[in-house]
Amino acid sequence: MKTSPFVAQPMPLQTVMLKVVTALVPGILLAVWAFGIGVLVQIALAVAVALATEAACLKLRGYPVKPFLLDGSAVVTACLLALSIPPLGPWWLAVLGTAVAIGLAKHMYGGLGQNTFNPAMIGFAVLIVSFPAQMSRWAAPLALAQPDLGALAQIAYIFTGHLPLAFDAVASATPLDAVRTGLLQHLTLADIFKAPLFGVAQQWIAAGYLVGGLYLWQQKVIRWRLPLAFLGGLGLTALVFWLVDSEHYASPLFHLFSGGAMLGAFFIITDPVTAPTTPLGQLIFAALAGLLAYLIRTLGGYPDGVAFAVLILNIVGPFIDQYTQPAVFGRKKKGAKA
Amino acid sequence: MISKQEANVIIQNSIWKQNAGVVQILGMCPVLVMSSNIVNGVSLGLATSLVMLISGAAIASMRQFVPNEIRTPIFILIIAALVTVVDLLMNSYMHGLYVVLGIFIPLITTNCIVLARAEAFASKNGVAQSALDGFFMGIGLTGVLAVLGALRELIGKGTLLSGIDLLFGPAAKSWVIYVVPAEQHYQFLLAILPPGAFIGLGFLIAGKMALDRRAEARARAQTAKAEIQAA
Amino acid sequence: MKAMFSNGARDAGILLVFTVAFTALMAGAYLLTRDTVQRNEAEARASQIRAVLPAGSFDNDLLADSRALPKADAVKLGAADSSHVYLAKKSGQTVAAVLEAVAPDGYAGQIKLLVAVARDGQALGVRVVAHKETPGLGDYIEAAKSDWIHQFDGKSLSAPPAERWNVKKDGGAFDSTAGATISPRAVVRAVKTTLEYVNENRQRIFE
Repeated sequence: MKTSPFVAQPMPLQTVMLKVVTALVPGILLAVWAFGIGVLVQIALAVAVALATEAACLKLRGYPVKPFLLDGSAVVTACLLALSIPPLGPWWLAVLGTAVAIGLAKHMYGGLGQNTFNPAMIGFAVLIVSFPAQMSRWAAPLALAQPDLGALAQIAYIFTGHLPLAFDAVASATPLDAVRTGLLQHLTLADIFKAPLFGVAQQWIAAGYLVGGLYLWQQKVIRWRLPLAFLGGLGLTALVFWLVDSEHYASPLFHLFSGGAMLGAFFIITDPVTAPTTPLGQLIFAALAGLLAYLIRTLGGYPDGVAFAVLILNIVGPFIDQYTQPAVFGRKKKGAKA
Repeated sequence: MISKQEANVIIQNSIWKQNAGVVQILGMCPVLVMSSNIVNGVSLGLATSLVMLISGAAIASMRQFVPNEIRTPIFILIIAALVTVVDLLMNSYMHGLYVVLGIFIPLITTNCIVLARAEAFASKNGVAQSALDGFFMGIGLTGVLAVLGALRELIGKGTLLSGIDLLFGPAAKSWVIYVVPAEQHYQFLLAILPPGAFIGLGFLIAGKMALDRRAEARARAQTAKAEIQAA
Repeated sequence: MKAMFSNGARDAGILLVFTVAFTALMAGAYLLTRDTVQRNEAEARASQIRAVLPAGSFDNDLLADSRALPKADAVKLGAADSSHVYLAKKSGQTVAAVLEAVAPDGYAGQIKLLVAVARDGQALGVRVVAHKETPGLGDYIEAAKSDWIHQFDGKSLSAPPAERWNVKKDGGAFDSTAGATISPRAVVRAVKTTLEYVNENRQRIFE
């Protein structure tokens, strides 16, 4: 996503958003392959609520509804949030999360382009803080699930909460959670990774986001700085911990392909509204977010740290911008000798 | 000693126009932490009001003996001593509540609103005025704490007045109002946890501004009408 | 110069007078409330310990019949350096011991427990007194949040058998909530360790 100043003709917002959604497709397809139809149900729910909330807010604020509704930004927010929700989560998670993301995080801060915080991440944070139990009940990837849940059973479960069997029978920890739990049970990482098909589904999905991200970069929708600095910050921190004690800290590669790392690197931290605009500022911002994401997911009380890290850095974003303004042409840098 | 009119001006100013919680936005730390329900919020608010009543009176009565250069340390000394006394009294006579409010009783000392009123009001006004100002500043803060506490408790747990047994003994347990029946285990944690305090306070400040703006618009419309009639 | 000095001396004097006066006020309040405060604090501690024992099962002052455990024992109970044991007595006969134990492997750090164990090695009651588990997820181990912790009442190392001292998800005998098994796992393990410790040191604890 381009940032000011626009020298060349900027890409229309609608085109940008269309490309972002396109870039999400490989990840979404892999997620459907891994978890089933539930992923699509969550996306549909979130998109519908996002558009409805957007329309209602625009109307209340006295803006023209149609052009803003069709710019696609609400759809992108909805997709990003839906992909962070457990595929078999109850329907009201997606509904509440999206309503908060659009209503509170976007429109109360002044609408498109004015929001301090990434709306999808606000929605996610509200959900994980309020309903940690529902937000951490991930079904096992279909390849693992015994017995297999049909599409109808999945949809019924999302909307009614009724399952023909106990949820425990189809539940499975995400790789991040499995590592955390295993380590607390004094297992070694080698043992944890031996579990059948451990983390395969999530890692393929992450790879799907990576492909989509590279497409966005190739299309010049995003630049390299934010994603690379974020993955670098996360990876390097993981590397340090891993080198010091590889028995108790998972490898950098594991961390890069777990949880929200890839989605965050290419689709969330690259949000042009909430990230700094100066090149150096972007590097600092994203690298710090990566570092913080690692610390929160490894040492904090919640399963993943990407959302919290991004939100915390959103607060500092303008501050980073202010201190990384490039020197005006023709003037010497402050502190440089005359 | 103090005219009724003067008292009214002070009270109005303290509770609404210069409200500590939503206008001056002083003492945010205890406001945010202790507003998770009405009982906690109101208790801390009343304790603060009491300290401000006494500190206002004490500082106003001693102000002529306090040299200007060292007034701040002396004000803090007075406030800290009063807070310590309140802390000890609450510990001995309201222990259950004292445990809940915990560190925030001693921290009243560092609540900016107390020193702010000592500095801005009590050091320049009479004893009765200062006591009144301090107490009603505290009451204004208590009001904010009560509304914020009610909001957070209602949205977060579906109850009102939970924890009231800490104030009035076990018999008061039946006074708790369950807006959502207790069996449903309704919970919306965001409202109870610290982020809920920030969001809630934001809404209260916005609400106060909206009310003021509406009142202002109405007043302007009235003057305009009066002018037209006069003309 | 002289004026400035005398000003400073006057200010110091005034400050001193204020300090003495208000310290006296605080000291007075302290003396006035000291006994009540001490009584309240002891009572709060005692009621915490009482909660893990069946009502009416003892008639002594629990705080008076307590002692610190040696460091090696405290470490066995999961504590970093210190742990206490409180003895419950009925008509002079020791009927149960309440131990401070720590589950070191909660989701977000230590979980501090009080475990009451009867002479025959049966757990009488368990309470979580301090923890940092995720609110709404792992905090159902608190008695105030759910009845989960009451599962331990009446359990011993033989019932259920030692190998079933785990959560149901791991093939054990204790319930847990889907998606939040780390906290209960930690508590189950810590209670088991405590019972084992009491079994091994029964003589030393009860006599």
